[in-house]
Amino acid sequence: MTMKRNGTPSANGTGVGLTMTLDGEKVAFTRGETVYEVAERHRSEIPTLCYDPRLESFGGCRLCVVEVEGARNPVASCTTEAQPGMRVRTRTAALETQRRILMEMVASENRDLDVDPMHGYASQEMAELLDRYDARTGRFRGATSGTSRPDDDNPFIGRDYENCISCYRCVRVCAEQEGDYAISIMNRGFHTQITTEFGGLLKDSACTFCGQCIQTCPTGALGDLKALANKDVPGETEKTRTICTYCGVGCSVDVMTRGDRIVGILPAMDGPANEGALCVKGQFAFDFVGHPDRLDTPYVRDEKDGPLRPSTWDEALDFAAGRLRKVVEGHGRRSVYGIASGRAPHEAAYMMQRFIRAGLGTNHIDNCSRA
Amino acid sequence: MATPTDQDLIERWQDEPAPLLPLLHAFQERDGYLSEEAMRAVGRGLRIPIADLFGTVTFYHHFAREPAGLERPRVCDGPVCQMRGTEVLTASLRAAGHDPSPMPCPGRCDQPVPVITGSEVLTGRTAGTLVSGPSPLPPFPPDGTEECVFAGIRRPGRATLEGYRHHGSYDALEQAVTGMTPGDVIDVIDASGLVGKGGAGFPAGRKWRAVAEAPGTPKTIVCNADEGEPGCFKDRVLMDHDPHALIEGMALAAYATGAVRGFIYLRYEYPDTAGILERAIREAEGAGLLGDGILGTDFRFDLCVRRGAGAYICGEETSLLNSLEGKHPFPRNRPPFPVTHGYENLPTVVNNVETLASAPPILLHGADWYQGLGLGDHAGTKVISLSGDIRRPGNYEVPVGLPLAKLLHDWAGGVPDGRTVQAVTMAGLSGGFLAGRDLEVTLDEPSIRPRGSFLGAGGIMVFDDSRDMVAVTRQSMEFFAHESCGKCFPCRIGTQRLVERLDGGGPGSVDAWVDEVADLNEVMKKTSACGLGQAAPLLTESLIRYFPDRIRAYLEKGA
Ligand SMILES: Cc1cc2nc3c(=O)[nH]c(=O)nc-3n(C[C@H](O)[C@H](O)[C@H](O)COP(=O)(O)O)c2cc1C
Ligand code: SF4
Ligand code: SF4
Ligand code: SF4
Ligand code: FES
Ligand code: FES
Repeated sequence: MTMKRNGTPSANGTGVGLTMTLDGEKVAFTRGETVYEVAERHRSEIPTLCYDPRLESFGGCRLCVVEVEGARNPVASCTTEAQPGMRVRTRTAALETQRRILMEMVASENRDLDVDPMHGYASQEMAELLDRYDARTGRFRGATSGTSRPDDDNPFIGRDYENCISCYRCVRVCAEQEGDYAISIMNRGFHTQITTEFGGLLKDSACTFCGQCIQTCPTGALGDLKALANKDVPGETEKTRTICTYCGVGCSVDVMTRGDRIVGILPAMDGPANEGALCVKGQFAFDFVGHPDRLDTPYVRDEKDGPLRPSTWDEALDFAAGRLRKVVEGHGRRSVYGIASGRAPHEAAYMMQRFIRAGLGTNHIDNCSRA
Repeated sequence: MATPTDQDLIERWQDEPAPLLPLLHAFQERDGYLSEEAMRAVGRGLRIPIADLFGTVTFYHHFAREPAGLERPRVCDGPVCQMRGTEVLTASLRAAGHDPSPMPCPGRCDQPVPVITGSEVLTGRTAGTLVSGPSPLPPFPPDGTEECVFAGIRRPGRATLEGYRHHGSYDALEQAVTGMTPGDVIDVIDASGLVGKGGAGFPAGRKWRAVAEAPGTPKTIVCNADEGEPGCFKDRVLMDHDPHALIEGMALAAYATGAVRGFIYLRYEYPDTAGILERAIREAEGAGLLGDGILGTDFRFDLCVRRGAGAYICGEETSLLNSLEGKHPFPRNRPPFPVTHGYENLPTVVNNVETLASAPPILLHGADWYQGLGLGDHAGTKVISLSGDIRRPGNYEVPVGLPLAKLLHDWAGGVPDGRTVQAVTMAGLSGGFLAGRDLEVTLDEPSIRPRGSFLGAGGIMVFDDSRDMVAVTRQSMEFFAHESCGKCFPCRIGTQRLVERLDGGGPGSVDAWVDEVADLNEVMKKTSACGLGQAAPLLTESLIRYFPDRIRAYLEKGA
């Protein structure tokens, strides 16, 4: 479509000194900013459902409508560029009524209005707006829309389209952020349906299971099955900001834990390297951490092809150091090549390269997660 | 001729402008439907991600995805045909061993009931009496009425270049390219007061000037021949009987704006028209009236026809542009408008058939002449497609400002069988109903708009006093629900909820029913992203306004 990526401020300074009137207050903006972006900066709290700041504005949900002096109808603030001298009102009684009715309409097409937050990052957006607009009235009752796909038995993404509101954020994130074009919109009107090519399963499509569609879905129609498997783990969910260890991109994630258990991963929308994007590993492959097959004590293998036997840290470290020393003495320092595991934390990776460089005196050090 | 291979078809189209729709049609015509393999081949050939292509194909009503789908008869279930025998014809087709499915109005309301099978449109009342035939010519207006676009249309042979030239035409183009600057041409169109005839009524001269002045080349002229509005069939008769008038009008628009390429975006339901236009374009090219070096000057303009595939929304100009470009045909957000960001994001004129066909006579006879064709302060003429309960249905070119009653009774013979007019639709279905005292309007926007309706593209369906207006409203709302593109919430959900409320659903008490319907109307009108969702609630709004007692009776019957 023709809109530029949202809010590309002009680089050449032509936007300096522009002002418009927002709810009676004179405010400054830069050329190319949308009315929504200007209003957000001034905490107008305009409601949205089809909006994701990373994507091109779409203009579907119409919740973000505002009144512009001189315009016959309200306009969608997310698709309207701010203009000098524009007079905009963002929360008149008429607008708030229109938004309430829109929310009542949206509520009428879904099976569930409330979903477990483990569904995904944005999954509470609709429910929160229903509360804000007091829209759980049951008006406009009628047919529900969307056909769920319980037959899609992939381990990552739940496709519960009976809770879909056709905001198409999933389709747009897949195309615009991922460039995968795995999913699209089938049919028209009330019968629109998110689909893969020919209505097949995700695993037979171009989907890379990056999980981005899940995280932008505002209703939980798409759900993170890995996290949902832990929805009954007791305790409060805590979030810890860290960097995904799988590769060199450095995607920021918020690791969700309950007690000492990792229960899910959320992409960090403000992560400088990823802006909310992750790949299948960073998004879903966290369960090895608490896996029962994981080593829980040092093991030593006394001879090549011999069995592993449980040991202690002291014995195992002495054993490894002794063997390494023997190799270096027999074949020189360049006979050792260190590869740090992508699953080890950064601190461990750092120590590993210190050990190889400073300890052994060679640059033969690498990490399995080159990207 | 051997059946073309996938590769043949792809090579035929891949380097043409706007190739997706013609390529899909070529596969559908070869195979009788669009198979998965065909779509995969098209996706590879045109480098379109296959999920996107699949989604886009499902958008169009007339792309069949089951074998033999192209042959399957599709029967009009528009409001006029429902009064004229959709049910009987469907039953009779079924009895004859066919498996008919409904389709929205294909623009034959003057000849109910149309059926499309394969690439053919037939009309009739029963399976055994279906015929194909040319579009009926417009009935003659009362003596002394001067016409603009219909002035030459009844002349024999008019559809051929020879017949058209015989009456001195293409003179306007010649006059323009040899003796006028592009600015002069725009000035004449501007001064004439010609406004868009496709619905919105935007001044044509201003649109042309905006494109002429917009930076960016190549520029494009798009003729909107989608005519998807139920009850509208005026563009069909213009193109069928006077194709050169449209071509000349487009060439004039191109000359005026500096455009070098043009498309006629023709609705799927007019296959015969496609052939007529193709032939006329070849004739004009052969005579040096299109292509390189037009009329010996260095003016160049290439024109081609692109057929839609069954989607009313593709008549909305930005949806049309997306459709031409092979994208999912949701309307675009505006601004920016097509005059600066149109086809391939470059300056583009999108004009209706009637608008473009008006340009040559205006240029020949002058701006004042056209101005003077209207009554009172109104400029020019408007073609009205009249259908339903009326003695002489058809297309009438009326002076703007003519009283509706005059058109119905004096021009078209009034309502048959001694009945009276209960209601008429305006703008096809998009203007909702006028009834009661509001039938006293004159045919111009200043008279009609204050009544909560609009003249738009000029389709008027007449319903006599025996018709069940709640049922008519339901059939009409089903059209909008069927055609809602699904981009925006108010229209996608609202059209569905209104249909349900007209079909036994929703609250049973009159107050609660009216309350819900009025809220839906208001939100759709105010917040929908395009004209479809803004116009659809005019039906229910006018139903509540004129027929509250019918609503009560309908709800009481339900309870
Ligand atoms: C839902 C919808 C359907 C439309 N269908 C048509 C159509 O079939 N033909 C047409 O000329 N204009 C149609 N229009 C109007 C076009 O958007 C546009 O205004 C018109 O083509 C401009 O040409 P004009 O200025 O010559 O009328 C439609 C508009 C809407 C909102
Ligand atoms: S998981 Fe990623 S690739 Fe797959 S559909 Fe969602 S966004 Fe597209
Ligand atoms: S699945 Fe979610 S993100 Fe996708 S369209 Fe439906 S509600 Fe929007
Ligand atoms: S108003 Fe209807 S047709 Fe227009 S964009 Fe919205 S959903 Fe699509
Ligand atoms: S946020 Fe603007 S229309 Fe949805
Ligand atoms: S052709 Fe059937 S209603 Fe128009």
